[in-house]
Amino acid sequence: MPGLSKWNAVMIISKNSGVFLQEIGELSRFAARFWREWLRPRYEFREFIRQCFVIGYKSLPLTGLTAFIMGLVLTMQLHPSMIYYGVESLIPSMVGIAIVREVGPVLTALIFAGKIGSSIGAELGSMKVTEQIDAMEVSGTNPFKYLVVTRTAASMVMLPILVIISDSISLYGSYLGNNIYERTTFILFFRQVFDSLVVADIIPAVIKTFFFGFAVGIIGCFKGYFTDKGTEGVGRAANSAVVVSSVMIFILDLVVVQITDLMNLYD
Amino acid sequence: MQNQAFNTVKLGIFVLTGLFLLILSLYILGKNRNLFGVGFELKTHFEEVNGLVTGNNVRYAGIDVGSVTGVDILNDTVIEVAMSIDRKMRDIIRRNAVAALGTDGLVGNRVVNISPGKGEAPFAVSGDQLASRKEVSTENMLQTLSRTNENIAVITAELREVVHRINTSAQLSELLNDRTMSADLKASAENLRRATAKASDLMSQASGTLSLAYEGEGALATLLTDTALAGDLRVAVQKISEVEESADRLVLHIDEAAKMVNENLQYGQGPANALLRDSLLTYRLHTTLENVEKGTAAFSENMEALKQNFLFRRYFRKLEKAKKKETESR
Repeated sequence: MPGLSKWNAVMIISKNSGVFLQEIGELSRFAARFWREWLRPRYEFREFIRQCFVIGYKSLPLTGLTAFIMGLVLTMQLHPSMIYYGVESLIPSMVGIAIVREVGPVLTALIFAGKIGSSIGAELGSMKVTEQIDAMEVSGTNPFKYLVVTRTAASMVMLPILVIISDSISLYGSYLGNNIYERTTFILFFRQVFDSLVVADIIPAVIKTFFFGFAVGIIGCFKGYFTDKGTEGVGRAANSAVVVSSVMIFILDLVVVQITDLMNLYD
Repeated sequence: MQNQAFNTVKLGIFVLTGLFLLILSLYILGKNRNLFGVGFELKTHFEEVNGLVTGNNVRYAGIDVGSVTGVDILNDTVIEVAMSIDRKMRDIIRRNAVAALGTDGLVGNRVVNISPGKGEAPFAVSGDQLASRKEVSTENMLQTLSRTNENIAVITAELREVVHRINTSAQLSELLNDRTMSADLKASAENLRRATAKASDLMSQASGTLSLAYEGEGALATLLTDTALAGDLRVAVQKISEVEESADRLVLHIDEAAKMVNENLQYGQGPANALLRDSLLTYRLHTTLENVEKGTAAFSENMEALKQNFLFRRYFRKLEKAKKKETESR
């Protein structure tokens, strides 16, 4: 870049790094506060249930539809290759492992991040810029407990359930996709799926979705809770909540896969 | 407020559905892996397990009956495999059952296949050790296949050489292109057929003759069964043998006589030897015979002249008349 000296470049990088690290630190403190506030009474149980309905139940059509399409498409895409190698009978096993271990949790979490992360970020951001959060503090309500803890906890609890239901829908889509090419009974298909799976496939997949849900909820809340610069900041909060939580989902997935691999759970 | 309660119910259904699916999945997986069943444990020993791990299926006659619960190395050549078997198999699997390693499909997971043993044996109980059978490993099969391929390569090369020789052989080409060959072969086949038919006839005739012989009829039966004939034949053979001995002696005498004649001819002082050996004598004899021939001719001429002489003419006429009378009287 013309006119950009090395010194200026170093300054910009160090400034950005400082901002990044500062944000990481604030996010960590925010997450630690969540755990503190979550365990400490008084519990906002009613709000938690409402958030569970909004975050979990209302996300089901979207995640269910994408899961169904993913199962169907995955089977249709796999079929020619499996035919080529003469192992089309392994499609249920292969699709089952792929969906339960990886595709189901990650894809559902990404859809969830897109819908819920942006929703939480925008909602809390607008409350922040309209000073509703400040008003709650003034009225004696703990805004963190009421807004952040309930949403993050709901996100953390609902995402695993969404993933389990989405996996089932996805496997059903795969069953339908398989029946486009050849006749396979429902019982045989699901028997082959479960024959190839072990408990160690399901438990780590479910456990990692707790962390995915926590990441989506806490990042969405963090971005919305610290929104500034008016309405522009609300949009930016919603956007960055989706981007950061999506990246965080992949990072967490990588970590979980490494841990399960080191533990030899699949052997 | 009513709407919120309805939403809560829907949320409850949603959560329960998720939990039900999770529990169902875990139950099916657990049932597949025999995690909940109260089974009994059997053990077996292998030299190598080729990737068998805990959790692999155990099958009896092709049916899933349990899972592998442990794979432990006892020493450098023995690996102990512990299996949890479904309790309902307690009255089916016997102690003489044999365990073998297998694969689920061509490229699937390893499994332990238990097959029934031969004969009677008591039912297996928890802790029993089953006999194991060494599997035919893919590696061994590939090694055998490799040797087979090498042999096939050698055979192919030799076959190619043979075919090349056949293709380049002038005699064989001539034989193949010979149009009369097929006719000859046909004729040979026809002759063979006739010969076979004749042989068949002969065999049937021989069979008939033998049948008659067995029944005691015909010359063959007489030959085979007549004891008197057998005695006569024995005597005849004995006499033939005596004649043969006499002939031998005669031949010996003749041989000696011939030797003697030969010696006399060769070295004797008799006329025969002189006749055969003395060329001068032969010449003289020849000359003498010529002179005799000449003298006989001259005598015959003198006799003709004498017949014409008047002194002897009458005598000769008298002889002719007497000869004529004798002929007429006959």
